[in-house]
Amino acid sequence: MADTGEEPTVSDTARAALIRLLRAAYPHATFPDGPYERTADEIIGQLDESLWHRLTLTQGLESLDAAAGGDFAALDDETALKVLRKMEHAEFFTFVRGVAVVSLYNDHEVWELLGYEGASYDQGGYIDRGFDDLDWLPNPRVEEYDGPERLVEVSPEDELSTTGGTSR
Amino acid sequence: MTETQHGRTQGRAIDHDDEVVVIVGSGAGGGTVAYELTARGIPCVVLEAGPFLRPEDYENDEWAAFNQMAWLDNRTASGPFRVARDFANLPAWVVKAVGGTTTHWAGATPRFRDYEFKARSHYGRVDGANLLDWPIDLADLAPYYDRAEKAIGSSHRHGRPPMPANNNYKVFANGAEKVGYRFYATGPYGTNAEPYDGRPGSIQDGFNFQGDKQTSKWSTAVREIPRALETGLCDLRPESQAVQVTHDATGRADAVVYLDKDGNLHRQAAKAVCVAGNSIESPRLLLMSASSLHPDGLANSSGQVGRNYMRHTTGSVYARFDEPVRMYRGETMAGIIADEARLDTSRGFAGGYYFETLSLGPAFLAAFVEPGSWGPEFTGLLDAYANTAGLWIVGEDMPQEDNRVTLNAGLLDQWGLPAPDVHFADHPNDIAMREHAYSRADLLYEAVGSTGTHHTPPYPATHNLGTCRMSERPEDGVVDRWGEAHDVPGLYVSDGSVMTTGAAANPTLTIVALAIRQAEHIAEQLGGSGS
Repeated sequence: MADTGEEPTVSDTARAALIRLLRAAYPHATFPDGPYERTADEIIGQLDESLWHRLTLTQGLESLDAAAGGDFAALDDETALKVLRKMEHAEFFTFVRGVAVVSLYNDHEVWELLGYEGASYDQGGYIDRGFDDLDWLPNPRVEEYDGPERLVEVSPEDELSTTGGTSR
Repeated sequence: MTETQHGRTQGRAIDHDDEVVVIVGSGAGGGTVAYELTARGIPCVVLEAGPFLRPEDYENDEWAAFNQMAWLDNRTASGPFRVARDFANLPAWVVKAVGGTTTHWAGATPRFRDYEFKARSHYGRVDGANLLDWPIDLADLAPYYDRAEKAIGSSHRHGRPPMPANNNYKVFANGAEKVGYRFYATGPYGTNAEPYDGRPGSIQDGFNFQGDKQTSKWSTAVREIPRALETGLCDLRPESQAVQVTHDATGRADAVVYLDKDGNLHRQAAKAVCVAGNSIESPRLLLMSASSLHPDGLANSSGQVGRNYMRHTTGSVYARFDEPVRMYRGETMAGIIADEARLDTSRGFAGGYYFETLSLGPAFLAAFVEPGSWGPEFTGLLDAYANTAGLWIVGEDMPQEDNRVTLNAGLLDQWGLPAPDVHFADHPNDIAMREHAYSRADLLYEAVGSTGTHHTPPYPATHNLGTCRMSERPEDGVVDRWGEAHDVPGLYVSDGSVMTTGAAANPTLTIVALAIRQAEHIAEQLGGSGS
């Protein structure tokens, strides 16, 4: 990063619009603001990756209010979604999406909210911690089938003597 | 820097002027050849582009592990397949580390079926497909399959016990039974259910594509490479990028030119060269090795180097339930259904496919479940995460001449070498098979109460095959029945590039079996106990 300090590199208004955008684009009723804010900051932190990133993102965020016909950050979910649908092919939106889909779902708070427990090696794996605790179906066979049926590898119609192969 | 002071050398230092067997790549093919040859007293230099990661280095975190070990050098994807749009710089998801892609392989080890060695004869002329029968058959490979299964420690084989049923498998197997499938099990699977071969049993930690910290999963990084080093005959050089294979005036392969990690060029003399860089890097190396005798690339008189690139017909199905599944707990791919892995063109396509259990964490599921998607339809898939079961479709795809790896003259890698371009289009047969598999998977999950399924498109390829294919006649392919180049004595290809056709089975077991067989042949050619 070319940045020298901790100061945000976009205005508070633009950051608020970005957080609103993320909530509308990736709506999860169970998620608090934290994951969205962290994702927004990750996007803002990558602003200086290239001049083009900075230009497209800054310009894109500024265009949100115009697209909303007012304050984008104040829109409800449904309206915000409609606005975003219209700009989903814009370069700035593609960039936001590319970072967000990685960053938001790599957030450990999000993992917890979705019910993912992550690394288990240090706790001895899941072998004694529920790897087979599903109890709403019977326990299936784990051995290979040894009953009377045989898998027919080549159907009689596809035997070499009778087929010229498929005609596609 | 003197000849033997690579600084990176592991094992015995071999002089650059010593003519030894030089192996490019240390994965399923290269690692196996290195072990089999050094065990027979034949010295080998192994050039591995990536670092030597140890199990304690592996990260149980999807993105961290991806950034640690995935092959991320410049590459391009082109053609109409969707990966070219969604992951334009990531046509394949393979590993750059000692152990190669066995570091992150999932572990399924089915054998090829007999008919799959005779695809041209069985499938006939399929428009747009460049089908060819293998020059070998199942009987040739069967004894080597036995040895490969024992090396890997495949479950359900040679007395190895089955994996227990994890949550994802319980859904998968119950669905299979309900729709009338019979040939399902938790394997064969290349991970220890109980201690075997000096490595412990699985603790079901749920990480697999990230390297197995527990070392229950077989990889050449935990078995063949350490054992080759123990012989005192193997010089392993990690972070060494092969640049060219050279030949002498008679046309025999005689050296490999490579870069060390600091970018210094070296030349390692060779009495034989085994190229095992996976199906993108192997043809790239041959194409970069053009010479006056081989103006279109080394060993390319057939014009087939880089062509017939196959990536298996794949896809995933993620199914939602009212009850918890927690698919991420336990062994990722310890579940296989073989009922559709057969030839029955009344289904509307040639070749067969397997279903295998598959699970991703939220991070990778978000990235791959429906690339580019967003909005409530997308987040609904993630909200259902804990109640989701997943499977992978893996089936035979048609070799096509225009599906190919070429040198991208417009893009260089970090060394200044042309990056590979991977051009791919689905064949209509591939599409018909995938659609059939999606619909069968829907039925399977509906049979155990699924409230909805999502059809996920193919990921960046983990199975990369066919770009230096094996053929009886030199005009049809690149290597002969032993994997030796038709055009260049002493040049072998030792990875999945040699596959004439891809079959339905996951390729690692077959790559290992072919490599054991090839090493035996090379040892005979070199006269037993080497130099």
